[in-house]
Amino acid sequence: MATSGAELVRQMAAGDREAFALFYDRYAPVVFPLILRIVRERADASDVLQEVFWEAWRTADAYDPTRGSPEAWMVTRARTRAIDRIRSTRRRSEMFVAPLDEAIAATLEQPAPDAAERAENRGTIRSALDRLPGAQREVIELAYYAGLTQTEIAERLKQPLGTVKTRIRLALERLRDVGRTSP
Amino acid sequence: MTHEPYDTQAASYALGALDGEERTEFERHLAGGCAVCEAALRASAETLAAMVRSGPPMVPPPEAKEALLRRIATTTPPQRAAAPPRTLVWAVGMLVAMIAAAAFTGAFVAARYEGRLGQMAREAAALRERVQRDEAALRQQIALYRSVVDLLRDPQTRIVTLHGLGANSQATGRIIWHPVNGGHVLVANLPSAPAGKAYELWTIADAAPQPVGVFQVDASGRGTHRIPPLEGGKPVKVFAVTLEPEDGVPEPTGPMVLASK
Repeated sequence: MATSGAELVRQMAAGDREAFALFYDRYAPVVFPLILRIVRERADASDVLQEVFWEAWRTADAYDPTRGSPEAWMVTRARTRAIDRIRSTRRRSEMFVAPLDEAIAATLEQPAPDAAERAENRGTIRSALDRLPGAQREVIELAYYAGLTQTEIAERLKQPLGTVKTRIRLALERLRDVGRTSP
Repeated sequence: MTHEPYDTQAASYALGALDGEERTEFERHLAGGCAVCEAALRASAETLAAMVRSGPPMVPPPEAKEALLRRIATTTPPQRAAAPPRTLVWAVGMLVAMIAAAAFTGAFVAARYEGRLGQMAREAAALRERVQRDEAALRQQIALYRSVVDLLRDPQTRIVTLHGLGANSQATGRIIWHPVNGGHVLVANLPSAPAGKAYELWTIADAAPQPVGVFQVDASGRGTHRIPPLEGGKPVKVFAVTLEPEDGVPEPTGPMVLASK
């Protein structure tokens, strides 16, 4: 039987490098596409990935299995670090509005319905996000993958802030249900 | 009882989208300890992790893993206590430890850290003293070099060579001499003076040798001594160094080790 993720983290906390290698093999393929989708550049994504796993090694003793799965622990960290990376890049190119818009547009284009359908046709698993209604998927995209705050999303979509907040909440609830019903 | 607006805020917060005053408000609410929101945030983190996992996996570039493994191999594994067993034994042990700790911590911490603080204070004081000593020595040296350079700049300054005598034939010396301002003697290859003895420098003008100071040489056989100007600025014919009692004597009594001419 495979060692549980939580057990691997516990072994890492005791300084076990082999456990770290196993942990990496298990979770890097999960968080790497997330990081890549946020930062878009493969070299940047590789940097962020290393940062995230280095932190996991350093802080393994702080992981509390009663507070969440190792997967959520890593995904949360990876998303935060990737967003930090694009925010610092955006700050550097603050005066160039166009690249920012392009980046967001690219983020939005990626999981377009036809792309999802193509993926399905190829026999790959349709991601949970693709199963959300368009408006809900959009707010998740903008918040989670593009790092916009709810105020920024409202401005971008030209929607009242209250609408955006409701949409975010519904989208999360829907995602949870999708997760429960998916195989 | 309604839990709004926190449920809605928790959703935005989980997505990292809560901003402005709402974020401050929500974080204050969280800090106050809200089990409902904490549970909601944990559930959202799992939901988002499941969403991420539901996409196709992608193997990262192999260099990333290699670099990481190299990095953790070259660092000392973090020193951590062994993970605690998750049983009642642990809880009981913890309780006992806490009680014991409460009793002993104060005394232990005080003893341990006062000792260490005291040691650190002593080390700091010793260091400060050493720095001050070094600084004083450096200042003295700089003053000496300045004075030598000033003398060398003066056209009236002479350089007199001293030759080793007898058993000290390998010893050498120079006198930088100014008839009005005095000068310096610099010697090399002189053995350290025996205990209770020192080298004494003499000037011979027209009559008896005049004592112009005693000096010691360091482990490398070198010594330097400032020579005060002679009264009346009489021209010096001969400089000589003899081995004498360490406080110096008015007339030479010991063997001559260096002399000009």
